Amino acid sequence: MSAEYYLFMLINGLSQGMLLFIVASGLSLVFGVLRVINFAHGSIYMIGAFVAYSLSTLLTGTSLASFLLLLLVVPPAIALLGFVLEVSLFRRVYREEHLLQLLLTYALVLILDNVVRMIWGGDPRNVARPEILAGSVDLMGMALPTYNVFILLVGPVIALGLWLLLYRTRAGNVIRAAVSYPDILGALGVNVSWVMTATFMLGCWLAGLGGVLVAALANVDLSIGMEKIIECFAVVVIGGLGSVGGALLGSLIIGVGITFFQLPFGRWALVFPYFVMALVLIIRPWGLFGRPER
Amino acid sequence: MKRNNLAVLIVVFCLILAGGMINSGEVAASETIRLGFVADISGVGATFYKGQKAAVDLFIEEANAAGGVLGKKLEVIVRDAQLKPDIGANMARELILSEKCDFLIGPTSSAVALAATKVAQEFKKIIYFHTSNTEALTTTDFQPYMFQVVPNTGEEGRGAALFMSQRPYKRYAYIGPDYAYGHDQFKAFKGELGKLKADAELQEIVWVKLGETNFSPYIPILMSKNPEAIFSSFWGGQLSSFVKQAKPYGVFNKAALYSLFDLDMLRVTGMDMPEGLLGYSRCPFYAIDNPEMKAFVKKYYDKNKEWPADWAAMAYDGLIALTDAIKKANSTDSDQVVKALEGLKFKSLRGERYIRPEDHMANVGIYVGVTAKNPDFKDFLVLKDVVEVPAEKILLSVEEVKKLQAEKK
Repeated sequence: MSAEYYLFMLINGLSQGMLLFIVASGLSLVFGVLRVINFAHGSIYMIGAFVAYSLSTLLTGTSLASFLLLLLVVPPAIALLGFVLEVSLFRRVYREEHLLQLLLTYALVLILDNVVRMIWGGDPRNVARPEILAGSVDLMGMALPTYNVFILLVGPVIALGLWLLLYRTRAGNVIRAAVSYPDILGALGVNVSWVMTATFMLGCWLAGLGGVLVAALANVDLSIGMEKIIECFAVVVIGGLGSVGGALLGSLIIGVGITFFQLPFGRWALVFPYFVMALVLIIRPWGLFGRPER
Repeated sequence: MKRNNLAVLIVVFCLILAGGMINSGEVAASETIRLGFVADISGVGATFYKGQKAAVDLFIEEANAAGGVLGKKLEVIVRDAQLKPDIGANMARELILSEKCDFLIGPTSSAVALAATKVAQEFKKIIYFHTSNTEALTTTDFQPYMFQVVPNTGEEGRGAALFMSQRPYKRYAYIGPDYAYGHDQFKAFKGELGKLKADAELQEIVWVKLGETNFSPYIPILMSKNPEAIFSSFWGGQLSSFVKQAKPYGVFNKAALYSLFDLDMLRVTGMDMPEGLLGYSRCPFYAIDNPEMKAFVKKYYDKNKEWPADWAAMAYDGLIALTDAIKKANSTDSDQVVKALEGLKFKSLRGERYIRPEDHMANVGIYVGVTAKNPDFKDFLVLKDVVEVPAEKILLSVEEVKKLQAEKK
């Protein structure tokens, strides 16, 4: 097989990694600030995808404008859902032990999944891609879907946006301070609990964005939440819980790994994320970019 | 405040529980024939179940309006097997023991079917399969208290080979879900293709995890050796996702795809479905022209405001055969009904069919065609130029069946 073919698979894999990053960064961010491993992050992402579906049935046509509208409207709606969840549930368990938090978020998975089942039923749903993104671009004689290119572009924009937010704004300073020195932050008169709510909403916004993006990529059904949360956990374990940069690196490793290793290993490539995960756990249990638990 | 939340939680939980309980039974009346439906209601089975249940309900309504079967009313009791074999077996037991069901209706998943057929054998209760279609049910796992009215995996694989080998393709590729159904179909396909076309080359075989909906890693591999024709064993939502993603990779410009385009899959994919794909359907109402089918479709549509999926029509066909056999036996006794079933000729929605005595397989074929827009259906494509591949061309011979049945024992 030619070198071009390998390059093609690399680019293809990067696009997969970017989509994963958008969802996993939300999970990682929430853990960094709230110290809660949110099992329900995948379900929230799934709700984003289903809401995108419902909204798309109300919009006519497959124009770019209606797709952009989905991207604009759905993630904030999911962030709003995050607000409700944080204030009503998550806020109450921050001081509890991890096991209890895990139980809460797992219960939330069961509840949200059943709510989705009640509202949308078990049928797979399809969101059409906007026409302009439905075709393909020529890459060294091979057809690469335009939509994959689109995701490849959206990913870095989100990564850059998150970096600017965290490192170049006051809000970001507060969030980072909340990660490292929550007590001092409180003593300085910052309302830490609202910082946490805002961060949780941001995490949900990212999950919602991932949901919209995946809805136009593949079909949406009840299984996508669980599917994605497992991948996300692999990402954050590799990258380090709480580190957005780590989430980016972890996502790209997994996206490229699964795609690229299809070439020599076929279906065994699926083992790759877990292999890397195990390796990282042995060598650097707190992840490549993470910090050991205090 | 805390207490309020708890109350809300409890209410939500109760709602969830209630959702699962709706189907649980009424009190048994003595003069009824009770049908226990081991159904796959939750998860990816939901779409299938909707059609199956609607058809079963329709059949029961009609039969009861006409005075029942042997003067007894029919009723159905449903349990959710959740696509899990162990739960399916338990539900089958519960339907027989607690709900006192006389006959069982099979599930969607073949894995559940294989578990349920064992329970049926244990309690000598007849179960029929209308959607789950592993060939093993009639061969290695055959037991006399069952019959099957859906074209099985062997027929589907051999049918694919037959259909594709008649076209001028030499280079073939395969992609399918990595579990029993995919492997069964692939085995039958590969064997038959080798027999029918000596110079056919099977270049690339790609297995994808069941339920995986992201095909970006797999499609370039599938296409790497430029196949002329691709056989896919995907179905339902996974197939719909595959088709949607294969299009921009240019798959359909380069190769002919052949896959299972049942009505539910076509509905889900909608206008994203490309025209001109090769495919088959197990029981496409729109391509079967006989008065029974027409009458069924009309009644089904009037009642449900929806067209009947393949599974719906086949679940209905199974009840035609079962009730005909009960009438012929003039009894609901399992052994007598089994005797009546063997060789039974019945007027199915697909035309006259019979049940082969050796493996209790109805001689149902598959329907092949090409995807196209159709003015009768605005929101989705269907197959056109549909031709039935008769069961006789693609079923295992009686000798082969007997050999496989003997192997297990």
